[in-house]
Formats: sequence, structure tokens, C-alpha cells
Amino acid sequence: MATEKRDTENATTGAKDELAQAAARPAAQAAQRASASEGDSGRLTLDNVSARYGAFRAVKDVTLAVRPKSVTALIGPSGCGKSTLIRTINRMHETLPGATVSGSISLDGVDLYSSDVDPVRARRVVGMVFQKPNPFPTMSISENVSSGLRLTGGTSKSEIAGIVEDSLRRAALWDEVKDKLNQPGTSLSGGQQQRLCIARTIAVKPRVVLMDEPCSALDPVATLKIEELIRDLATEYTIVIVTHNMQQASRVSDETAFFSMDDDRAGYLVETGPTAEMFTNPKQALTEGYIQGRFG
Amino acid sequence: MSTPVASIAKLLTQPTSGERARQRINWGMRVIVGVAAFLAILPLIALILFVILKAAPYLVPTFFFNNPLDKEPGVLNAIVGSLQLSGLTVLISGPIGIAGGVYLSEFASPRVVAIGETVIDVMLGVPSIVAGVFAYLILVPVLGFSGWAAVAALSILTLPIMMRSTQEVLRLVPQAIREASLALGVPVWKTALFVSVRTALPGILTGVILAFSRALGETAPLLMTARGTNAENWLDFSTTMNAMPIVIYQYSNAASDLLIGQAWATALILMVIALTINVLVRGRTVNSRTA
Repeated sequence: MATEKRDTENATTGAKDELAQAAARPAAQAAQRASASEGDSGRLTLDNVSARYGAFRAVKDVTLAVRPKSVTALIGPSGCGKSTLIRTINRMHETLPGATVSGSISLDGVDLYSSDVDPVRARRVVGMVFQKPNPFPTMSISENVSSGLRLTGGTSKSEIAGIVEDSLRRAALWDEVKDKLNQPGTSLSGGQQQRLCIARTIAVKPRVVLMDEPCSALDPVATLKIEELIRDLATEYTIVIVTHNMQQASRVSDETAFFSMDDDRAGYLVETGPTAEMFTNPKQALTEGYIQGRFG
Repeated sequence: MSTPVASIAKLLTQPTSGERARQRINWGMRVIVGVAAFLAILPLIALILFVILKAAPYLVPTFFFNNPLDKEPGVLNAIVGSLQLSGLTVLISGPIGIAGGVYLSEFASPRVVAIGETVIDVMLGVPSIVAGVFAYLILVPVLGFSGWAAVAALSILTLPIMMRSTQEVLRLVPQAIREASLALGVPVWKTALFVSVRTALPGILTGVILAFSRALGETAPLLMTARGTNAENWLDFSTTMNAMPIVIYQYSNAASDLLIGQAWATALILMVIALTINVLVRGRTVNSRTA
């Protein structure tokens, strides 16, 4: 762990720079994103993370290292805090009244909760795809994809058209929508809407993409398409996916983290490891029980 | 072993005790509520019929295009006066009311929301004569009888309507839409404006139109502020203005069949405008709900 950190030290400066300065010079952002995209790793480290809703602790002391440019699946029974946990990574948790986070979460060595990281900036670097497809209902397909760029500013109109096409291609949606880019985003099917949301997320060039049960509202065919897409995106992004579906976890993820909840209903990390190992030879009896369908 | 069970056929066909009485009560209740419903809409039907019948003979072109002192008198100045007063009221109270609603829905803490909602409830309950008396005793001594005083009084009445409607339609915007925007790294104020308000815009505009319609029909504050005039007044809010409710009130007391007839006719115009607005708004909301 420590040696790995030293090895990637050079590479880490890119994301560090971006986090620390980007907001001050929005006009320079696009250029910066382009230049910074090569070197840095996108290593996500959670250290003793707890998340609370008022007095209730939903997530307890999670320490987890997420491998860069890979897919990490968070699995576990309902209510064990998986969704809450990933919402702490892009600082969405704190947007709810009374919600607080303790511990530290760092991306390439920069603490996302330190005072010089603005939450808005953190969310540009850590994107998120939600459980139910949520395209903006007033926007067309292409406007949905470009919404993040247009609303955060700093990208010229001419660049935006190219980014829209790239993002839609990347999200494997371009061929289906290229002739109707001006139709409402909500006119698409559920699976297409979810790929639209993925395109919208990657259009702002995040380094980490969080996915909160992205297929739970979709049929099996649409689910399979999204899963292929996730595998494909992992070559470029660090992906953390929450899923209820263990087959899905085994199909898409490189690493799996299993969560459970204790007597106070606080979610905690039981164990984590390479997915193949977790599903064939888990260390903890609790994990084995869950994977074999004995509870949860 | 067990008590004998009645056959299905018997259960279905044999009347149980009290069944006949129940059916009679049922029938009686239907008649009572039916009659009550008819009685409830009877005044409305009577009102519409009366207004139309009494107004019809006076609906000539000169009524719409002449002023009260013309040879063939009309109420043009009241129509343009009403539209100007209501229009300016909405222009002034609209942005403030909408901004207030956005604040309550998107930014305020739950505590502030609770206080704000109570204040809106109180403001919604202010009788229009109270707004009128306030304008008459506080503003008229400074501004004189004028369009400005009238707009101030009307704004007191329309502000809470627009705040409430804005807040309520924003509440219907799914939280998932806001989160989608925040998760893209869009700042909170831009999310509020370009995502939440943009999504709720049709509903917000509906509130504005309803406030316009409310201002159009108000009488008491106008009698105490704009006061009415025989002159045609375009955009000079610093002096008296005529308005349809003022004309209806004054003409219906007049000792002249022509003026009384014109009071009916003006009432018809007001009613048609208000009904049209309400029907249009209704169509909009139904459409946006099904879309």
C-alpha cells in the first residue's frame, strides 16, 4: 500500500492540481481537463468513514481502498448504508438536512473534505449515476448531455457539440439517438435514459464515476447493455457501483466489498477482495451466507 | 359436526333482513345530494343567465371603443385601466413573489420555511378591504388617488398567491432532478434557477396568470385608491385611473337605464376574461400533468 502510493506520486499531481485550483479559473478548465487526463491515477481511499443522518449513524468506520480504473462493487443487504456511503464520496450526502460525514476520503491523496476543496468542485471530479434514470425533463437529448458543461461554464459552443457526440458514443447511445438529438431526453426508453445519464456524467470528464444501483429500474436486456458499458468505461474511469444483484457484481466488478449492518442498524464493511475470490472463497462466514442466499 | 352452510344460490337470491330498508335509504340519499348539488349550481346558472341577458342589449361597438363622456358612451378607459393596473401589479409583485417562493423551496432551512408559510397563510387571509384601507390611509396621503396606490394595494393581495404557487410547484420537482444537477458539479444557485425553476416554469406562470385574474376582479382597494375617472389614462399611474370593478360599482347605483345596462355589460366582460383565464389555466395544468 505505502509503496504503491510512492510509485504513483508523480501521477497524482494532476488531479491534485485540478481539485485545488479549478474553480478559480473556470475558463481554463477545459484545457486543464484535457492536459491533466493522462497522468493521474484516480485512486480513491476511504479512511474510517462514518455517515450520519442527524443522530443516526448509517455507515460506521469504513476503510476501503478503491483501485484506480477498475470496477469496485459494493454489495450487501438492504439498508446497510451502501448508497449512503457512495453519496459521501461525491459530497452529496451532506446536501440532505442534518446529514454529516466523519473520517476522510481522498482522491489521489487530496482529502475531498479538506477546507480548500469546494464540494461543487469535488462533484465535477467525482460523477454519479443514480438508481432511477433522471434526465432533465425540460431538456433535449443533446442538451441533457451538455447540461453539466453549459451550467458550469467555461466550455465554448463549438467544443460542446463535439463533446456531446463523444459522450454519447462512449455511452453506446449515439447510433440510437443521432437522428433525434433535439427530442426530449424523457422520450427515450428507461435503458436509453440511463445511458443518457451516463453520457451526461462523463461529458464533464470526471475521474471517478459512482453508480447507485444503476440497473435496478431496468429490464434484463437494458441491464446487460449497461453492464457492458460499465466494463468498457472502467478502462478510463474509477468506478464504484452499488448493486443488490450479486450476479451483476460478479459480472462487472474487479473488486467486491461486502457490507452488513450491526445491531444499531449501522452499516459496516465486512470484507473486501478480488471479486472472483469473494464469490468462490470468502473469508467471512457472513459473506458466504449472503452470497449463497442464506440471508439478505 | 359443523353448522349447515347455506347454498350459494340461496345466499345470492334470498334478501337478508334490512336489505329493503337499506336500498330505500340509499335511494333517498341519492335524491337529497342530487337536489343539494343542483341548488348549489343554481345561483351560478342564474347569475350567468342574468348577466348575459341584461348585458346583451348594451354590447355595441361604441361600448367597447368609447369613453364615458363620449356622445355614445363606453367603458374603454375602464377596460384599459383594469388591464394596466393588473398588469403592473403582476409585473411588480411577480418577480418578488416568485423569488420568495424559490427561496422558501430551494434555500430556506425548515425553520424559516415554517415561519414563511405561516406568514403567507396570514397574508392570503387578508381581506381586500384591509389592503384597501392600508393603501387609503397610508399611501394615498403621499401618492394621492392614483394608479400607484392601487398597484400597491393589489400587490399586497397578489404577492402571497404567487409565493405560495411558486413554492408548491417547485415542491413537485423531483429531488432526483436537483441531485442530478448537483452531482454534475453545478452550483446550488444555478441548479435552483436553471433546473428546478426551469422545470417548474409552466406551473409558476400559471400562478402568475391566476394572480392577474385575482387583481382584475378586486374592487374594494380600487375604490379607495385609483378611484375611477372619465378620462382615458394610458400608463400615467400617478393619477386616477378607471377600472372595470369601479365602473360596475358606480354605474349600478346610477339613475339611468343606460348606465345600469353598462354595469351589466362591464360585469359580463370581466366575467368572460376571468372565465377564459381560468379555463386556459385549467387546460394547461391538465396537459402538463398528462404529458
